[in-house]
Amino acid sequence: MEVIFVLIGFSLLLAVGFLAAFFWAVRDGQFDDTHTPSMRVLFDDTPENNIDK
Amino acid sequence: MTKIETLEKIKCYHCGDDCRESDISIDNKYFCCSGCRFVYELFRGNKLDGYYRLNANPGVNRRVGARSDRFACLEDRDIARKLVDFADDKINRVTFHIPGIHCSSCVWLLENLNRLHPGIPLSRVNYMRKEVSLTFIPEQISLREVVELLSSVGYDPEINLRNLERKTVGMPKDRLYTRLTVAGFCFANIMLFSFPEYFDAAQIAPKFRNFFGFLKVALALPVFFYSSAVFFKSAYHGLRQRIVNMDVPISLGILMLFARSFYELFSATGIGYMDSFTGLVFFLLIGRVFQKKTYQRLSFDRDYKSYFPISVNRKEGNTEIPVAVNRLGIGDRIIIRNKELVPADSVLLEGNGQFDYSFVTGESQPLEKKPGDIIYAGGRIAGKAVELEVIKKVSESYLVELWGDNIFNRTERTGIESLSNTISKYFTVAVITLSIATAVYWYFVDPSVAANAATAVLIIACPCALALSTPFTLGTATRILGRNGFFLRNSRIVESLAGINSIVFDKTGTLTRTGESKIKFIGVDLSARQRAIVKSITGQSSHPLSRKISRLFSDDPVANIESFEEFPGLGLSGVIDDSTVKIGSAEWIGLTNSEQQSSDNFKTRVYCSVNDNILGYFSFTNVYRDGLESLINSLRSKFRLYLLSGDNDGERENMKRLFGDDSRMLFNQSPHDKLEFVKQLQSGGDRVAMLGDGLNDAGSLKQSDIGIAVTVDTSSFSPASDAILDSNSLHVFDKLVLLSIKCLRVIKISFGISFLYNIIGLSFAVSGTISPLLCAVLMPLSSVSVVLFTTLTIAFLARRLELY
Amino acid sequence: MTIETVNYDNRIVRSFGIATLVWGSVGMLVGVVIAIQMFFPALNLGLAFTTFGRLRPLHTNAVIFAFVGNAIFMSVYHSLPRLCKAEMFNKALSKFHFWGWQAIIVAATLTLVTGITTGKEYAELEWPIDILIAVVWLAFGANMFGTIFKRREQHMYVAVWFYIATFITVTILHVVNSIELPVSFLKSYPVYAGVQDALVQWWYGHNAVAFFLTTPYLGMMYYYLPKAANRPVFSYRLSIVHFWALIFIYIWAGPHHLLYSAIPDWVQSLGTVFSIMLIAPSWGGMLNGLLTLRGAWDKVRTSHVLKFMVVAITAYGMATFEGPMLALKNVNALSHFTDWTIAHTHVGALGWNGFLTFGILYWLIPRLYGTKLYSDKMANAHFWIGFLGILIYVIPMYFAGIIEGLMWKEFTPDGFLRYPNFLETVLQVIPMYIIRAVGGTLFLIGMLLMTFNLFKTIRLGSLIAEEKVEVPALENNREEIYNRRNFHRWIERRPVKFILAATVAVLIGGIVEMVPTFLIKSNIPTISSVKPYTPLELQGRDIYIAEGCYNCHSQMIRPFRSETERYGEYSKAGEYVYDHPFQWGSKRTGPDLMRVGGKYPDAWHYGHMIDPPSMSPGSIMPPYPWLANNELDIGSTPAKINAMRKLGVPYPEGYENIAIEDLNSQARQIVGILGEAGIEIKTDRQIIALIAYLQRMGTDIKVQREGGAR
Repeated sequence: MEVIFVLIGFSLLLAVGFLAAFFWAVRDGQFDDTHTPSMRVLFDDTPENNIDK
Repeated sequence: MTKIETLEKIKCYHCGDDCRESDISIDNKYFCCSGCRFVYELFRGNKLDGYYRLNANPGVNRRVGARSDRFACLEDRDIARKLVDFADDKINRVTFHIPGIHCSSCVWLLENLNRLHPGIPLSRVNYMRKEVSLTFIPEQISLREVVELLSSVGYDPEINLRNLERKTVGMPKDRLYTRLTVAGFCFANIMLFSFPEYFDAAQIAPKFRNFFGFLKVALALPVFFYSSAVFFKSAYHGLRQRIVNMDVPISLGILMLFARSFYELFSATGIGYMDSFTGLVFFLLIGRVFQKKTYQRLSFDRDYKSYFPISVNRKEGNTEIPVAVNRLGIGDRIIIRNKELVPADSVLLEGNGQFDYSFVTGESQPLEKKPGDIIYAGGRIAGKAVELEVIKKVSESYLVELWGDNIFNRTERTGIESLSNTISKYFTVAVITLSIATAVYWYFVDPSVAANAATAVLIIACPCALALSTPFTLGTATRILGRNGFFLRNSRIVESLAGINSIVFDKTGTLTRTGESKIKFIGVDLSARQRAIVKSITGQSSHPLSRKISRLFSDDPVANIESFEEFPGLGLSGVIDDSTVKIGSAEWIGLTNSEQQSSDNFKTRVYCSVNDNILGYFSFTNVYRDGLESLINSLRSKFRLYLLSGDNDGERENMKRLFGDDSRMLFNQSPHDKLEFVKQLQSGGDRVAMLGDGLNDAGSLKQSDIGIAVTVDTSSFSPASDAILDSNSLHVFDKLVLLSIKCLRVIKISFGISFLYNIIGLSFAVSGTISPLLCAVLMPLSSVSVVLFTTLTIAFLARRLELY
Repeated sequence: MTIETVNYDNRIVRSFGIATLVWGSVGMLVGVVIAIQMFFPALNLGLAFTTFGRLRPLHTNAVIFAFVGNAIFMSVYHSLPRLCKAEMFNKALSKFHFWGWQAIIVAATLTLVTGITTGKEYAELEWPIDILIAVVWLAFGANMFGTIFKRREQHMYVAVWFYIATFITVTILHVVNSIELPVSFLKSYPVYAGVQDALVQWWYGHNAVAFFLTTPYLGMMYYYLPKAANRPVFSYRLSIVHFWALIFIYIWAGPHHLLYSAIPDWVQSLGTVFSIMLIAPSWGGMLNGLLTLRGAWDKVRTSHVLKFMVVAITAYGMATFEGPMLALKNVNALSHFTDWTIAHTHVGALGWNGFLTFGILYWLIPRLYGTKLYSDKMANAHFWIGFLGILIYVIPMYFAGIIEGLMWKEFTPDGFLRYPNFLETVLQVIPMYIIRAVGGTLFLIGMLLMTFNLFKTIRLGSLIAEEKVEVPALENNREEIYNRRNFHRWIERRPVKFILAATVAVLIGGIVEMVPTFLIKSNIPTISSVKPYTPLELQGRDIYIAEGCYNCHSQMIRPFRSETERYGEYSKAGEYVYDHPFQWGSKRTGPDLMRVGGKYPDAWHYGHMIDPPSMSPGSIMPPYPWLANNELDIGSTPAKINAMRKLGVPYPEGYENIAIEDLNSQARQIVGILGEAGIEIKTDRQIIALIAYLQRMGTDIKVQREGGAR
């Protein structure tokens, strides 16, 4: 039965870790520019971008 | 004629402008100018023609050739050093603001710069900020070359004084978002552990209830110590300045909520209010974030630095060398060329010049300056290059002084103390007394309830909704005002605006339309040929007046000109089939002062003579802005209106029609007179709003309770003003004021609503019957409903006023 | 600081693409077959392999894991390298992944039709295949993260996140739900029993839908929709919010599949609450998708690709709105166990997954082969046929569902069930089943049209096996650019963090989801009279599982008067403690069997199994004659007893040695009883065991009653 205490405690520990990871992503600047990436996607295989032909 | 017609249909493949000449073309694509064609060839040569495939004619027009040494200053070591973000021996990284970025083509091109020059291996665009940050290899390409490359393909980086100092954008880092996220996260999880209690407490074994209790506490701690610190701090600061701001009662509530829940959970006497507590903090923080966003949108981060160049050419002997403006000394001689900006107050030494202060005032009509005149910093010269002698350091020039007078923190100066603070003062007192009263009452009736009831009062009374209504209302309002070309320096101006009772107008450039004016020709009536001549001569000049004249005869044919010359400050002269044509000021065509002294003189005149016999003159008269009449009429009913004008009283009659009473119209007013006038009004107890232009009326704008700079182009910066009004939306000014007034009313109502919630809650609290569930429902309900109410009502009112 | 050349490998994309086409056709074909069997059982040609109970799992597995699965991999292997500006991490891994996955599908097909199954919906595959799945899936993960590590684009596009979340979650779901104890090479028992097994299973079932049919497809939407429309997504910011909100909330919503079942109310309520909350992010995503096309609707009119995508996104919106509605207790009371569920799932499956896949295939295949689509006309036809197919499929199913729900609950004024005979309610909806089959067929025809069209297209062009692209290397100048200290510590790097992040998010959900199962132990009133199954019954139960009876018969009487009237005492959590796996079922094509024990004589069951209509005229249950001929594998008994004991079923030590004798004696009894009814049969036939199990079902509580009476 006590296993639950472990489980929840564990899960919350992880939760906090997740939170931290999220902040990290924010601070790392993943979300700094929330527009250009969506334009960039359209380029990634424009034929002109290819070397041959 | 017809040829031109057909050509107008052809758009430049590069920039999309009309092609005037037909011959500039390559692989049957047409270009408006060789500049555009050059860029096209460059791209095609470097596998960059995808540029044109992503969007049709995405380019930036290249017709205006840039001066070759424009970026010479970038050779300067410490200018360069200041510009780059990061540098080591291998690579440099620099970020430019490029206003030209406008479509996905731009992004694609700028991120593929390495195809134009291997020395720029990496470049990233931030489309929203219109910034490109690129990495370049100094051995292969210099900073100057990088900039010149960018400019050569039409993406001129904006390089000005501002770039030189390390930009620390935004406000003090209060980590609001982080706090919010923490609160939100803990809130969600505490809710999770609270659901069981609410749904069916019966099924949960006590040891789990206790365990959940501990978890709630654990999750609540960070919220209490980290997230809600914001409110404690501001409450503390408030109290130290003897101001009971909204955060005092809030902090009280938060404190109580936490303390009591903490106690309940540990003494296992109850399940506590941790969900309400975290939820409360969460909502309050949302309010804060919203406030912050509004503020950021308002704060004009533009100051003179964004307009000044980083360097000018200093004359040393007979050579010019670029020098950073902030190193200009008094007595330095500088050369300013067409379209360049005078960086420091100085004296005009050589050549007359047209100086246009539009970036300060929005006034596009250039001012005529003669040698010996003092030129204030900020003037942009049109036409020939001039030589100036610096008489003040950049940092001391008039404009900068104006700016330096930090009118940002004049918020206290506004007569109205922020409404919410006044309320919260009484509110806090009331709540505390009530809770004490409750405690006392219960102490005698049933001591066991006393503590509970007293704390419950403080908890329930926590003015969450109260705190949220103000920022959301003002925020929404300012956003709507902004959408209508009315930009406030801070949202409190809305409150002040609602408080004014008299409005002072400056005539020129405020009521009248800057730049635009009625032209009529007075003199002999011109023959078709004479019109053609005048048209073709004026057509050669870039002077605004000339352009207006030639526009006047737009449908006349063009005569072919043998010779043409422009004499800045004087006029034009040209030869058309051996008749000499002169167009310009009176003295230019050789009129003596006596001859030109006539009735409505002060109006601008342009004389015109052919072979020295004067045909007559073009007279330019101001035109009033549309809807002016209705505006004045609607304002007159609510405010005392005054008119101050720098001009002669030629317009008195028209004005009288509008303002009715003479005593409210003053003409030939110097900026100083205006300032005095405002002072005088205020001493009479008036709350004055002044509409004027940002430079000439700077003093009076500052003096008045609300100084509103009316500008043609809102991006121009106006140091003295609390608000900038786009001249095109002058006609809705009354509505804007009305909205602000209504806005205040909405806030009051929303206060009423939140009080209602408090009373409901309190009735439970006082009777000592308050359940966590009730709390958990009431708290978000009140906050959300109030926020919805305020924002929706404002939006609705705006709609009714036809503001969008 | 160098410019590097990247080769995008298109072969693997092609392979997965073709697999998608092939398996899609197969899976949908099976679907049509079973749809027809629902009103024409004889279509199984009297074969065990093609009987509904075995084909239905094959259908679900084929469309979910073969069709959708391959489509996901196709898209990931195409979009991920381009988003990361890097080749896939390892070509060999890609190949292994591809062939491994196809092997799994083949194995699944073979085992399912031969009745080798765990009897847990959407997780029917037996333990050896489970392991194979795990291995291949991890290979996929390795390949994906490898690619992300060596990417040359600092920002991770939102699609990448959806892919990662998919991988992490599905891994955990699969592992947790497949923890089972092998009895023999192809037989195992799940470690969880009854209620707990149900919770785990539906936590899995729900999130399989969430993270196998939804998140990867959202990723695909966020990549291919902008591509096809050639305009950036409406709001990238919104897409990021969409992601985090979804991953956080989705995982908690599992229990709504078990409303009114024997799990604690507060767990059910939790499930409902979170299901409702799900509407927000889901619709955020849908609107983001649709608004991407604002101002480009003219394109939609002309481009079949966009047409498919628009319908797909709309279907997503409908399904994600309906889901939460079905999670409302009072709605669920009506809809659960009926064909409404089938309608709901097919809006999602045919509309969202089907049409988005079609759209992507039509966009992608021509590009892979550097040519135009063979026939736009045909594609257009496909769109309309398919669209019609969905409507003709879904609408009658909604009708059927509601009719069933109402008829089951209807009482006469004097308080009797209006339709006491379950069969009446079935006969009512048979017309709907027929129409549904038509709709399904149309959809299949569309699928075949596309397959043909695309194969023709492939013929037209030639595969662009590799696409070369020049990209500046990001790796070796990261430090310079972001001026990061100690960036060597690989743990510092984003992807790792993100894996952790996603894992955590899922674990929290999962674990807290699981907690109730442990809680229950304490809450289950252990019913003294509930005893372990006898060896024969245990064997019978395994046959019940093998034949997939749970596909049409539930074992969960909900606490409604209409159900207790019809079936008897409502189900208690305590009655399932020995059920490995639980067999609650999710759909009642036939009546609930929770308390069928003792309801009919053995002879009735015998006759009913051999030829259902003979006992209940008009029954659409297929006959199971082979049960009377196939020999029961008695030898396996001791092993099974041991396994069960390991799992906590209180068989006394050493019981396995006498188990077979017990089994035989019980079998002899039944044979005797049958004999009295004039039925001659050997004791070692499967049907005997099955009858034993059927007669035992739900009787323990009655025993307790009588005990009380004495």
